[in-house]
Amino acid sequence: MSRSRIRPRTLAQRTLLYVLLIIVAAVPLFPLYWLVISAFKTPAEFVSIPPTWFPTSPTLDQVESALTDVPFAQSMLNSVIIAGGATISVLVTSILAGYVFAKYHFRGKNLMFWSIVATMFLPPIVTLVPLYYLINSMGLSDSYIGVLLPWLANAFGIFLMRQFIMDVPDELIEAARMDGASEFRIVWQFVVPLIKPAVVTLAVFMFVFSWNNFLWPLTILRTEAMYPVVLTLNRLMSYTMSFDYQNVVIAGALIASLPTLIVFLISQRVFVQGIASSGVKG
Amino acid sequence: MNVTSTPTVGGSVRSLPRPRRRRTDRAHRGITAAIFLSPTLLVIGLFTMVPMIMTIVISFHRWSMFTPITDMDFVGFDNYARLLNDSARVQAIANTGVYVLLSVLITVPLAFLIAMLLYFPRLRGRNVVRVILFATYVIPTIAIVIIWSNIYAPGYGPLSAMVQAIGLTPPGWLSDPQWALLSLVIFNVWQMLGYYVILLVAGLTQIPEELYEAAKVDGAGIVRQTWSITLPMLSGSLVFVVLMTIINSIQVFDPIYLLTQGGPAGSTNVVSFEIQRSAFQYGQAGDASALAVSLFMLIVLVGVVLNAILKVRKR
Repeated sequence: MSRSRIRPRTLAQRTLLYVLLIIVAAVPLFPLYWLVISAFKTPAEFVSIPPTWFPTSPTLDQVESALTDVPFAQSMLNSVIIAGGATISVLVTSILAGYVFAKYHFRGKNLMFWSIVATMFLPPIVTLVPLYYLINSMGLSDSYIGVLLPWLANAFGIFLMRQFIMDVPDELIEAARMDGASEFRIVWQFVVPLIKPAVVTLAVFMFVFSWNNFLWPLTILRTEAMYPVVLTLNRLMSYTMSFDYQNVVIAGALIASLPTLIVFLISQRVFVQGIASSGVKG
Repeated sequence: MNVTSTPTVGGSVRSLPRPRRRRTDRAHRGITAAIFLSPTLLVIGLFTMVPMIMTIVISFHRWSMFTPITDMDFVGFDNYARLLNDSARVQAIANTGVYVLLSVLITVPLAFLIAMLLYFPRLRGRNVVRVILFATYVIPTIAIVIIWSNIYAPGYGPLSAMVQAIGLTPPGWLSDPQWALLSLVIFNVWQMLGYYVILLVAGLTQIPEELYEAAKVDGAGIVRQTWSITLPMLSGSLVFVVLMTIINSIQVFDPIYLLTQGGPAGSTNVVSFEIQRSAFQYGQAGDASALAVSLFMLIVLVGVVLNAILKVRKR
């Protein structure tokens, strides 16, 4: 990639571009910065007018309070179960279905594939009422299975896997078949290693998506002990409207955001590239 | 026959020719396809396609969610007629329209300009900025809601302090019916912008370098190059970004539910929130489904229009 179109020549041009770049970075960073510092302020400092831009006497009380006032650790674990379960399942179902759609030929394949892809654009709210009815009449409301079941496969994953598996050379698969490898082994041993970046992208995307999913757990779960962390945060938020409790809520928000942020930062090189190519290929 | 082969020499045996009954068998391939596809078809069929059909069916019935589904009565288009006569629901549709429109009008040009800034000039640190921009996308919406409700907070919130610092009177943000919806749009743009920037930067990398070289030889400046090369060549990515922005913002629910509950004075009531409230608080599944089908039709309409625009552009 040699890009020589614009080389800012003068110092003024360079300065202007860097100032713009700093603004572009500062706008997303500032609220995140505010999240972190607010979590460590004392309640009194938190509501002081005018606001302080750095905690004068940092304290861990709020973090501790968020962790103990509601079953926070349990709900983090619940989120791991829900997000982890959905991620693993979507990886398996998407890779298998993507492989079939990329490498098999049968009548009605395209119709089937594009019907599935179309569901990508269907907002979950549209089918919320019957979905609740279905899961409820299966006796699965208020259970982990009920939370997970509708998210065990999804169109985006199948689309992404199919696009990348199409680039895997047919000769390689044929050669593996000649060697007597089963279709299942071909997928796991030959195809998956070749599309690793796409698999990582899908894994991170699904983990983030399921961790953050709010509407469906809100609809289907009643028992607080099963709440994922986003619902526990909601609970914490509506616990009290009093001002001196606000930064306990903020401390909770900080803790709840850490897992997805960490997963993203670890994988960002591959993930950003993967999301980018999902757009180009789409 | 390979009866003599033992697991210890399995590695070398694998490469030996041996009778293959299964590999070339088309029927077997068909079974494999069925096995590989069945989990997906089961989940998407049962939990997306069936509910979609049910939503349409329910939208023609009167059904309280608190009674068995067998008790629902067919009412024809009554729910749709009532929808249009209910000022709260009409306002929800109008608010959603404004919310989507503002989101697109702010997001798409901004994402385009930032993508240009991150792609063309060789600036140090631009990859870091890309990661920072995208970071807001991975944080749970509820956490963002909590941050922003404090940033918007009157008095101790930093935004009001900043506005005051430049000598203006800060608006009431979320508590002011005139500002509440716009405040939620700003929030949405802030959260999603990075994602669209990444998509557009990816689109920019697909434009062949030679086009710019040729334009430069012809003496075209930056504005001219942007207008006659970048924009037309990027139109596919731009339409995709417009589509994603519309799809994402037309279903906005979390911030409304968490922050405003549709208020103040119904100024932030949107379709998703109205669907959820009608169904799960009032039990009016028929009305909720009529609204849901309307939302679905709107999305189909958007898809058809954008598709037509793409086709015209390609000609």
